[in-house]
Amino acid sequence: MSEVIGIRDKATQAIGSSEEMTAGSSGLGNSKSVLIQNLDHHFGDNFHAVSNVSLSLEPGEFVSIVGPSGCGKTTVLNLLAGLFPVRSGDVSIFGSPPRAGRHDVAYMLARDSLFPWLTAKQNAEFGADIRHMDRGLRSSRAAHLLEAVGLKGFENSYPKALSHGMRQRVALARTFCLESQLLLMDEPFGALDAQTKLQLEQVLLSLWMEERRTVVFITHDLAEAIALSDRVIVMSSRPGRIIDDIQIDLPRPRSISALQKDPAYHRLYSLVWSKLEMGLQL
Amino acid sequence: MTFAANQKPYWLTENVIIGVSRIVFLAVFFGIWEYVARTNLIRPIFIGIPSEIAKFLWVGLFVEFTLERHLLWTLVSTFLAFTIGSAAGIATSLVFVTWPAVEKFSDPLLSALNALPRIALAPLFLLWFGLGIWSKVALGASLTYFIVLSSAVAGIRGTNSDHLILARTLGASQRQIFARITLPNAVPTIFSGLRLGLIYALLGVIAGEIIAAEHGLGQLLSFLAGSFQISGVFAVLSILALLGMSLLWAMNRLENRLLQWR
Repeated sequence: MSEVIGIRDKATQAIGSSEEMTAGSSGLGNSKSVLIQNLDHHFGDNFHAVSNVSLSLEPGEFVSIVGPSGCGKTTVLNLLAGLFPVRSGDVSIFGSPPRAGRHDVAYMLARDSLFPWLTAKQNAEFGADIRHMDRGLRSSRAAHLLEAVGLKGFENSYPKALSHGMRQRVALARTFCLESQLLLMDEPFGALDAQTKLQLEQVLLSLWMEERRTVVFITHDLAEAIALSDRVIVMSSRPGRIIDDIQIDLPRPRSISALQKDPAYHRLYSLVWSKLEMGLQL
Repeated sequence: MTFAANQKPYWLTENVIIGVSRIVFLAVFFGIWEYVARTNLIRPIFIGIPSEIAKFLWVGLFVEFTLERHLLWTLVSTFLAFTIGSAAGIATSLVFVTWPAVEKFSDPLLSALNALPRIALAPLFLLWFGLGIWSKVALGASLTYFIVLSSAVAGIRGTNSDHLILARTLGASQRQIFARITLPNAVPTIFSGLRLGLIYALLGVIAGEIIAAEHGLGQLLSFLAGSFQISGVFAVLSILALLGMSLLWAMNRLENRLLQWR
């Protein structure tokens, strides 16, 4: 297993370096933003996952990608994360091609994937520890973040003693404990119940407002995408194409619960929904 | 508060009732056994006599100290067999995981060795390692080895794929992945293999001693049975049962200490 990863990493690097040149020559190398141009991706011969996706993210922008399940939104995210190589199209993150393990990118999975043998605090520090962040710094960051996600007093609890929502809070703390400028989130709240989800969206918003990092957020939940984002990208069913790119001009800071009764929010919801319906018919 | 106060005596009386009924059951059981043997309903040459068993234990443990001496031989052999067998098993699993080609190459050979009833190797081990403890150690270790090997391989292979994805995106080195994710993840599975391996080490050692030995509880058992001292046989069997239980208990204690997070 570990062997396979090693080989894949090398492959990614090899492809990455050839792409660096193309990115450089086509003038993609903006060192602050994230750029995707004409991205196309197949799995095997017949599975066309992503078709002609182009997207650019300004620094500090919160962008959600929504679409029906199997539309390739997670594929786009995994390509950004460098989990598999870009075969067709150009991707540039802060001026260089994607690579798994670069320190300016943090990735958050749909499942909490906490380590059961580590306490909440140790889990929150895990990523920063792997990336050799100073012990004192990561400890104080993790302590602050656990408090911010509402887990003060649970620092020494093991994951088995925490509820689903609490575990995903720890995973949020672990992600934000990294000093990465780009956060990639793959349906992090997809498995939570409706109430817990709203609470965690608020937690995510307040964490993000502190430092305003660039976020790519994958979800199938339109309400979530609109409440959190500056922009919502709607993708069609397979092969995934971008149908629309909708600005969410709701003022910040936002309160998730207040938004539920906000007419502007509901107008945006029906707008995005009609686009998504178009995507299903395509 | 009053609820809890009411609960405790109830819980206590339940335990007392269970304890008392166990004692009563055993007393009745041994009473009937004693009666059946003494009146020759079943000849004592087959089933022994409980009072004779108790006497044998008393003399062996507290007057002549012969049982302790045999127990010590068995314990030392079991400990050595377990240590050598499990260390070799874990070492082999690491080789297999690091170089899967080695595993592929040796798989048929190991399967054949594992399928072979290991006790059948006892005559060979006696020839190679002599009548002393090392032939017993070899037999016990050969049993422990395969059990620990398969559990260690399963534990190391059973790493959560989400954890590996996370590690990749964090940029973890192979060494970090192994030490921080693969190994701690494998510990519970390895431990269940070790627990089973310990019991099998004892099994191998006792079997080896029964076949041919100078010391040890197995040798004593074989000698007593051969000279028709059936009460003595039952006494040794009771010590073996207690020994097995204490080894398992110690292993569980260690496991609970090391794996508090479970």
